[in-house]
Amino acid sequence: MAVDSARLVASLHHSGAKLELKTIDLCFLAALHGRENDEGLTSIGDEEVVEVFAQVCELVEPDPDNVRRRATNAIQRLRDQKLLARIDGAGLVRAGDYHLTALATGIVEYFLADEHDVLTRESLGLLTGEVIANLAKIERSAREAASPQQWDECVALPLRITIRDLVTGIDRRQRGLERQQEALQARISDLLEMDWFASVRRCEALLEETASTLAELKTVLLERTHQMQGLLQDIEQRAQDGAQPEAAQAARDVASQLDRLGAWGSARQQAWSEYYQYVHGYLRDVVRLDPERALSERLRGQLATWVEDRFFLLVPDTEPMRVLREVDAHVERPPVVRPRRDRETPLERVSSDADGADLEALVRGSLARSPDTLACVLRETLPALDEERRYLAIGEIAALVAEHTTGQPSEERAWVTVPGGFEIEDWRLRTEDAR
Amino acid sequence: MNGERFHRLEEVVSDPLFAEIDTGLRQGRHVNRHETEQYGFLRDAQAHLEGFYRQYDCELRHAGDGFFYLVANGDRLRRRRLTIAEMLVGQALTLMYLDPQTVRSGGVIASAQVVQRLEALMGRDRLVAELLPQRKRRDERVAHDTVREEIAKALRALAGLGFVHAADARRVRLRPALLRFAEPIRGLEDRREALSRLIAEGVVERDDADETHESVEEEA
Repeated sequence: MAVDSARLVASLHHSGAKLELKTIDLCFLAALHGRENDEGLTSIGDEEVVEVFAQVCELVEPDPDNVRRRATNAIQRLRDQKLLARIDGAGLVRAGDYHLTALATGIVEYFLADEHDVLTRESLGLLTGEVIANLAKIERSAREAASPQQWDECVALPLRITIRDLVTGIDRRQRGLERQQEALQARISDLLEMDWFASVRRCEALLEETASTLAELKTVLLERTHQMQGLLQDIEQRAQDGAQPEAAQAARDVASQLDRLGAWGSARQQAWSEYYQYVHGYLRDVVRLDPERALSERLRGQLATWVEDRFFLLVPDTEPMRVLREVDAHVERPPVVRPRRDRETPLERVSSDADGADLEALVRGSLARSPDTLACVLRETLPALDEERRYLAIGEIAALVAEHTTGQPSEERAWVTVPGGFEIEDWRLRTEDAR
Repeated sequence: MNGERFHRLEEVVSDPLFAEIDTGLRQGRHVNRHETEQYGFLRDAQAHLEGFYRQYDCELRHAGDGFFYLVANGDRLRRRRLTIAEMLVGQALTLMYLDPQTVRSGGVIASAQVVQRLEALMGRDRLVAELLPQRKRRDERVAHDTVREEIAKALRALAGLGFVHAADARRVRLRPALLRFAEPIRGLEDRREALSRLIAEGVVERDDADETHESVEEEA
């Protein structure tokens, strides 16, 4: 959804905008619109508005007793919905003057267009001629435009207003023609329903008439659209050369609107062509071959008794030909996976005497000198080791000492400092046990 | 026209359209005049193809209503008969094709209309009994849904055979080939005589005919 549309939707939702029109309201609006146009009025006085309402009531809802009250209510409804505007600004001081708003005019004109605005060869020729004349004028202005103001006034604005309105006029008439075609299709159907065989010629005439109208319109649209697109391209090119993006955009917008018109012509022609073929086939195969319209009745009877007296159509049923696949060496493609990796880091054996010292030999040497305590052993052995290794080595030395001697049990084991600044809970050793 | 476009069967068979059309005909497809290219090809090649299909004990028929189809007479080409659902739906569609009100929409109808038409013509209970013969006790809503599914399935099958064209997911365009469902009652002769003739031609089969027709032919 475009940003503007989204904003509008949000705003409508926020304000709770709605239109609720009864048939009488629509009739009232149409009558007011007629009065304004017929008499060339710019506004309608209060009394006249009530009078118009009374006339409408006479036609559609005769109830003479309440006309004034109902007129007041109807005027209020229309004012609430911004369909009727009071333009005198006198408030309650005196009776008001009213004017139909653009919204009301649009609604009424839609219904009027439904009745009258249908695309014909003449109206299409006139409108496209007008567009081409205006585009040629705009193209001349684009050639001569020297200032941004001139570009705006003589190119962008006429493209946005005059040309777009004219093209919209064609578009509106196209929709009118679509409605007319729908009505024609219903009419052909009804003619066949009512008169069957007797209606064949009239149906054929209606088909031919519409087909030739559509073909003419398509030709005019193709020719004129091509001409208009050429002029628009020139205007856009000049706008780009003159660095006027707004004018170039306006030309592009009109060009896309024209594209839609051209596409409509082709689409309608195609749709009508299908319908035309179908109806002609129907008239030829069904109506002309069954002038009494007996086949439908017989078929209805056949279907009603089919269950008791069944028959079945036979149709060939060959299996589709098997197309053998070309032999292809089957290549096993390995699935895409991460390379396998052992996420457990393997344990590494690290010796505490990695500096090469033979701890056991050192301990044995120390024990040979019959030390009294573990601390004595440590004081002799630790200085031979790197300082980083000493903490770990203390445990291993203690284990070796325990293995080769017997500790003397004592109630209180003193905490003694050994080299490297470590403190140990000392053992007393029985040196005679040293091996 | 024949002489201008194709002089020999070889030219017909070499045409890029041949394979598609031939395969379709052998699978029971009807080629309607709306399929301009295929229909034009068959008209131009008709004389050559009639002889060609005769070798398969088949007959290439061109109906005056504007469609071509193949009739398999012998055992060289497998054939099948339409199902009960396809026959009922086909006849209902033919009635709609004949109805002037369908002309209004250019022969396009909604699938839901077929269900309504069949129910109106046969009655809901009878329709359920015909389309779901195995079911003894039925929940009405479930049965109705199943019937609709059966009808949708039949519509798809009939579209595959060229009796209708699927305009979109919910609508079909009726084709003149539907008039085949009215063949026994189109002529001036008695319906029974017409049916006997059609049976002899290998176009139609009666219900009392060999029920295992299809399986026998498959085995053959």
